[in-house]
Amino acid sequence: MARLGSVQGSQASHIEAPLRLASPARPQNSGNLNHCNGYAATTTNINGSPNLQFFRYTPVCTLILDAALVVQQVSDSLLHHPISAVRSPDQILGLDLDSVFDTLLTAPALGLSARKALRIAQDTSRVHELKHVHIDGTAWSIRVVPISRNGSMLYYQIELMDITEEHQKQLEMEERLYTNETFRILVETVKDYAIFMLDPTGHIATWNAGAQRFKGYKREEIIGKHFSSFYSQEDKDNDKPGRELADALRDGRCEDEGWRYRKDGSSFWANVVITPVYRGDTLLGFSKVTRDLTERRSAEVQLIAAYEEASKLKSEFLANMSHEIRTPMHGMLSALTLLLDTKLNPDQLELAHVIEESGEILLQVINDILDYSKLASGCFSISNDIINITEIVQSIFRALEKTKPGIELLNEIDPKLPKAAEGDSLRYRQIVQNLMSNATKFTEQGSVRLRVTLQDQDAEYYTILTEVIDTGIGVPQEVSGSLFTPFMQFDNSATKRFKGTGLGLSICKSLAELMGGKIGFYANPAGQGSVFWFTARMKKVDQLKTMDELQQEIEALALRTSLSPLDDIRKAAVDRRVLLAEDNPINQKIMVKMLTSLGFTQIDLAQDGQEAVTIAKKEAPYDLILMDINMPIQDGVAATKDIRTAGIKTPIIAMTANALKGQAEAYMAKGMNGYVAKPVDRKLLVKVLLTWLNPTSPPD
Amino acid sequence: SGDDGIMDIPGAKDKIDPTTFEQILEMDDDEEERDFSKSIVYDFFTQAESTFEKMDANLESKDLKTLSELGHFLKGSSATLGLTKVQASCEKIQHYGHKKDESGTKDITEEEGLSKLKTTIEQAKQEFREVEKVLKTFYHDES
Repeated sequence: MARLGSVQGSQASHIEAPLRLASPARPQNSGNLNHCNGYAATTTNINGSPNLQFFRYTPVCTLILDAALVVQQVSDSLLHHPISAVRSPDQILGLDLDSVFDTLLTAPALGLSARKALRIAQDTSRVHELKHVHIDGTAWSIRVVPISRNGSMLYYQIELMDITEEHQKQLEMEERLYTNETFRILVETVKDYAIFMLDPTGHIATWNAGAQRFKGYKREEIIGKHFSSFYSQEDKDNDKPGRELADALRDGRCEDEGWRYRKDGSSFWANVVITPVYRGDTLLGFSKVTRDLTERRSAEVQLIAAYEEASKLKSEFLANMSHEIRTPMHGMLSALTLLLDTKLNPDQLELAHVIEESGEILLQVINDILDYSKLASGCFSISNDIINITEIVQSIFRALEKTKPGIELLNEIDPKLPKAAEGDSLRYRQIVQNLMSNATKFTEQGSVRLRVTLQDQDAEYYTILTEVIDTGIGVPQEVSGSLFTPFMQFDNSATKRFKGTGLGLSICKSLAELMGGKIGFYANPAGQGSVFWFTARMKKVDQLKTMDELQQEIEALALRTSLSPLDDIRKAAVDRRVLLAEDNPINQKIMVKMLTSLGFTQIDLAQDGQEAVTIAKKEAPYDLILMDINMPIQDGVAATKDIRTAGIKTPIIAMTANALKGQAEAYMAKGMNGYVAKPVDRKLLVKVLLTWLNPTSPPD
Repeated sequence: SGDDGIMDIPGAKDKIDPTTFEQILEMDDDEEERDFSKSIVYDFFTQAESTFEKMDANLESKDLKTLSELGHFLKGSSATLGLTKVQASCEKIQHYGHKKDESGTKDITEEEGLSKLKTTIEQAKQEFREVEKVLKTFYHDES
């Protein structure tokens, strides 16, 4: 009633629509109504029923039904709304409930909801509002207001409001709330990460399952405490927590790995990310995500230990194998060299040469493999000696000069090459020899040129460019990409013309790279053959100083070698007794003079072998016997035999004009200790005397 | 002191090995008098004369073995003094006396040996005379 009254109060003066009553029969106008322009001047009709005219003008889509659920009024707003199927009130007024919605609304579903709302309002006699969400996403609020007076129902006011927009907003909010809720649950339950919030001062605001698991604190124990309690005392002293917050603020996040402490005092290795959280411009606090990396870290440490162990085993294996393989190889080759020195018949000689050749190849293969293994495992190291490139190149060249007749070997050394630089002479030599050997292998005619130039230098280093230019068969297209790859060989067929392991170039590449350089090749621009090149970086040395030092050292050495033997022999000769067996008096005289000049004062003489034996046996033991081989009556060899048979151990030195290699060995076999060639050279005599006169032991 | 100019004496070059002779000269205490080396050299002269006499006698008696030994003997001292030509001839005498060719490797007959010996001994004598002259000049001996 109040509502009607207020409408009446505000709208009474604005009513313009003609007065109408709800009954099918047209209402009869009373005399006190002015119908000229269809205005109703009052809110009551003649029969006393309320004037429902003004309901036509309400902006809210409204239907007025009487107690019998017959339409008494409909607002224009409803008629003009898209959901209305009719435009004229005449089509609606007087219709009962069942037919009105079908006629009025384009959406029957809405009608159903309206009927439902009405029914509830009827039953409860109270205002009822319900929400209808249409399938097209539009939403309506249907409100039914029952109007009664003195206990009896008069009207039902049905309002229909389009609340699509509000509905959408609500949906969105619900969505958001739902998502937030989901995240909250997520964070709460995650056990592998400690995720929690700090307030702006670093006190703990939230706590999740992971945090509890890692740090051992329950939620109620830790909320409100400062997060620095997880850090070590040292970190706290250094204000690490504070600095992390500051860094997070400044950079947008702060990540750190370090030790964190649990409630029980034990520690774990954590990865921590701290991010500031804002709402608008206000700092709400910090989010902290902590991961326990203790396991990963210990796995890392184990892996590294295992790797180092394996690496150590590998190097030890290499070193051992290297020794085990090379020792017998060298033994074999040394014995072979000695064998070649003995008397061999042609067949034996040929076989021995075959063994020698194979042995040398085998040694090369073994060295290649060992080098390759070392390089591949990173155990290889380059020495840093002071070297002279020019000299190295020249010596390599000299060694190769006679190897392949028919091709010309040329040498081009840049005069600007430094006389001294820091490098590894052995490895540099290895590369050059390998390249040169390849070049001569693959060149049948023309030339092989070795060219070394100072390509570049800076304050600290020289860059040396070494090139081997040949006019050989060149490198075919199909192998050019894989030349420096291990085990790639030019000719892998069964009838291999060119020997080798296929490791040479890959070793050269590794060595060049270890020397700070590169290696490569290109076709010889002269037309035929190839150019193999490599660069090496060598550190500059303080040249002047080194050369001077070297010079001094050499001079000192030279002085020492020339003086010292004479001094030594003069010292050694003191109080020594020598027996000289020589038949020619002129030679005798000369020998005596020589020995005297070397400091010998006690020299006894024998004219032939027999005399020598007699004297040697009779006189007190001599320190040395010089025995001429060719003597009358008894020669030196026979005399020596007799002397030895007599048990005399005195060193016997043969003096012989037959200084052939074979002879010397024969004399040794006969009991002599050494020999000098005739005519006797003083320097050589001194050497031999020094060898056989032990200066430290007293004469026996 | 070097060879003290001996190699400058005409005829010295192909008869004397300077290095070897120098070693003898080095043993002289006095470079003016050269007592030691002079005594050695003159001893050699005597030795050579006497050896050649013995060779002639043994050639007569066809004692090849002794001739070989004599050749070896003189070879030794001439080698020590660096008297190269004399040394070489003495070596041949040594080989021929052993019924070997001049290099000492191939066998020869006794007749051949004796024949060769005859010529080579004469050759050796001649060579000796020539180098004797050089040496005497060196030691300022005009005789």
